[in-house]
Amino acid sequence: MREVDIAIVGGGPAGLMAADAAATNGASVLLLERDGHLGGQLVKQTHKFFGSEKQYASVRGVKIATILEEKLQGMSDLVEIWTDATALGLYEDGVLTVEKGKEFVKIKPKRIIVATGASEKFLTFVNNDLPGIYGAGAVQTLMNVNGVRPGQRVLMVGAGNIGLIVSYQLLQAGVEVAAIIDAAPTIGGYLVHASKIRRAGVPIITSHTVTRAYGKEAVEGATIVALDEKWQPLPGTEQELDVDVICISVGLSPLAELLWQAGCEMRYVPQLGGHVPVRDHHLKTTVDEVYIAGDLTGIEEASSAMVEGRLAGLAAASSLGFKSDSLEADILDCKEQLKSLRSGPVGDHINQGMAQVMLDK
Amino acid sequence: MYLKTGVADKELVSNALPTEERRASGPYAIIECFQEIPCNPCTEICPFGSILPMDDINDLPRMDYDTCTGCGLCAAICPGLAIFIINESYSDTVASVGIPYEFVPLPQKGDVVKMMDRAGEFVTDGKVLRVVPNKKYENTPVVTVEVPKDKVNEVRFLQLKQEAEVAMPTADPNDEENLPDTTIICRCENITVGEVRKMIDQGYDDFDELKRLIRTGMGPCQGRTCRHLIMQEISRKTGKKFEDIELGAFRPPTKPIQLEQLIGGKEDV
Amino acid sequence: MLRIEEHPILTFEKGKLVTFTFDGKELQGYEGDTIASALHAAGVKVMGHHHVSGRPRGFYCAIGNCGSCLMIVNGEPNIRVCVVPLEEGMVVETQNNRGDLL
Repeated sequence: MREVDIAIVGGGPAGLMAADAAATNGASVLLLERDGHLGGQLVKQTHKFFGSEKQYASVRGVKIATILEEKLQGMSDLVEIWTDATALGLYEDGVLTVEKGKEFVKIKPKRIIVATGASEKFLTFVNNDLPGIYGAGAVQTLMNVNGVRPGQRVLMVGAGNIGLIVSYQLLQAGVEVAAIIDAAPTIGGYLVHASKIRRAGVPIITSHTVTRAYGKEAVEGATIVALDEKWQPLPGTEQELDVDVICISVGLSPLAELLWQAGCEMRYVPQLGGHVPVRDHHLKTTVDEVYIAGDLTGIEEASSAMVEGRLAGLAAASSLGFKSDSLEADILDCKEQLKSLRSGPVGDHINQGMAQVMLDK
Repeated sequence: MYLKTGVADKELVSNALPTEERRASGPYAIIECFQEIPCNPCTEICPFGSILPMDDINDLPRMDYDTCTGCGLCAAICPGLAIFIINESYSDTVASVGIPYEFVPLPQKGDVVKMMDRAGEFVTDGKVLRVVPNKKYENTPVVTVEVPKDKVNEVRFLQLKQEAEVAMPTADPNDEENLPDTTIICRCENITVGEVRKMIDQGYDDFDELKRLIRTGMGPCQGRTCRHLIMQEISRKTGKKFEDIELGAFRPPTKPIQLEQLIGGKEDV
Repeated sequence: MLRIEEHPILTFEKGKLVTFTFDGKELQGYEGDTIASALHAAGVKVMGHHHVSGRPRGFYCAIGNCGSCLMIVNGEPNIRVCVVPLEEGMVVETQNNRGDLL
């Protein structure tokens, strides 16, 4: 069976940082990415990131992917990268099964960092299964990776950061956005994102939801309705929108299947997006060999995912006895960065969530 | 209103403006960043230290207008595209506004463009004075436009071409029930909300029971798309808390693979 | 036309023209496309029909999570076309059942 110090599942922002941190401290790393290229969802993020210099603030996500990937190229003696490699199962004895291309492979790493990210939530409304109804991230992939517009006129459901950012990117790609609606009474995403779309003429309509899609083989229109304070539809407020795409951006769910399989203790924490693993301050789960990083620890910005990745990489390496002189200082630096990214009002819900799944103080 | 529409209230904007005296004395940056988010590139880029250092990365940016020259670097670097460069000092009738603008085609110097306010409503025409591409700053061009002086802090966006007005559609008198039984809740297996509700009524109230009985979550998505919706429905109908509902087992493989691959599996590579 | 020709941030360098068939009809995409993006650019939104209800299905997540875009590719069923690169001469067909054993 293939052995390695640390296997990392997921080559997105968290996984890439974890690989860099672990290898810098001398651990051998096998990085598994199910897609044909590294970067995860960074490859479609054309907007500039928030945060500080340490998290590549003001650099576009797509460029950050390249920067992180290039860092690993200088460490090919320690870091092996498998693309087109999907982790299929993580067993209680620590064996990881992988589909590598068309091969089925078993791996026995000493430590595993799971950084599998999240998947897009779905919504129930009439005809919600019609073609033309896409996850917001799907539309982003289609536009920004493949260079293909999703359609002519879009209804965006959800005014969180993803809904706002993808709406802006739709405008940049020359697609009309009929409206952004959100069931909540206020905008969930950063208001600077909202402002830049609003000033381009796109209405943002809060306390509204979509009740049905129209169309035979694909979307031809949508009905939206106002909601009262108890989130109940207000009769007589229905409006029909002439759209050929409905974009669903109602949040992400942590993609934690491997952790369930491995027997990690999980807890339902709404502030973090769903069921997430219980962990200590070094991102170790209740299964000793298994570490976590990125969106599957709780839905946050990619800036936090990168810092978590680095922290998990350092901690996993350290637990195996790999220690550079700066290791302790580096771990402290990660913790400080996470603390500062989460210290403002927009981080409140994250901190509330974290308090429910943290093993130590 | 800001929280509902994304349009900053008048007071927020007027509080961000420097004094009348300062406005009349030369170009300045106005930072329309009114929400505490973890972000600080503007404080680092300013060559004059006019955007004061933050104690905490979530602090709102604060300006020292005595040293700001309106150079425009902050407008180019701000990830939120929330900084504008205003010059009200060179004429009695007109003033200029620099707007970060990430769209194609870019306007050219001399173009007459439509100027919109923070809500995207047309305010006035404006003349493009210059376009700085800012290649060094991740290609966020800043377009400087001359507008009537009294409108300079109203306009925040520009549009090149005349576009047909899009009227918001009128209300539909057709009053549908919000979520009829026929709505699909599990795409892979084509299971409707009605089928799920019927099972819950019969007492089946965890994810795995439903999965075995009506195949919800049994398809290629393995519950990734539908699990939380089905659990919500269980929660709604039974009054159980979401976190108290059994999610069911997760088993390998995480994606469909061919039997051929499993059989050909290797121990060592 | 759904292909983006001009973009303020990105440049899309089109790869080689790739010819494939969709339900017997000859279509073209570019190297670098996924099967799903090439179909979408060619105006094909319906990738199959549900095996029970016959309702049309397109992609939903475009990154291989949801399994909504299963099609028959070169005779093999249950291929998630949103993550499979387009190749010259591919035979792509809509899938209206669970997929037959090969």
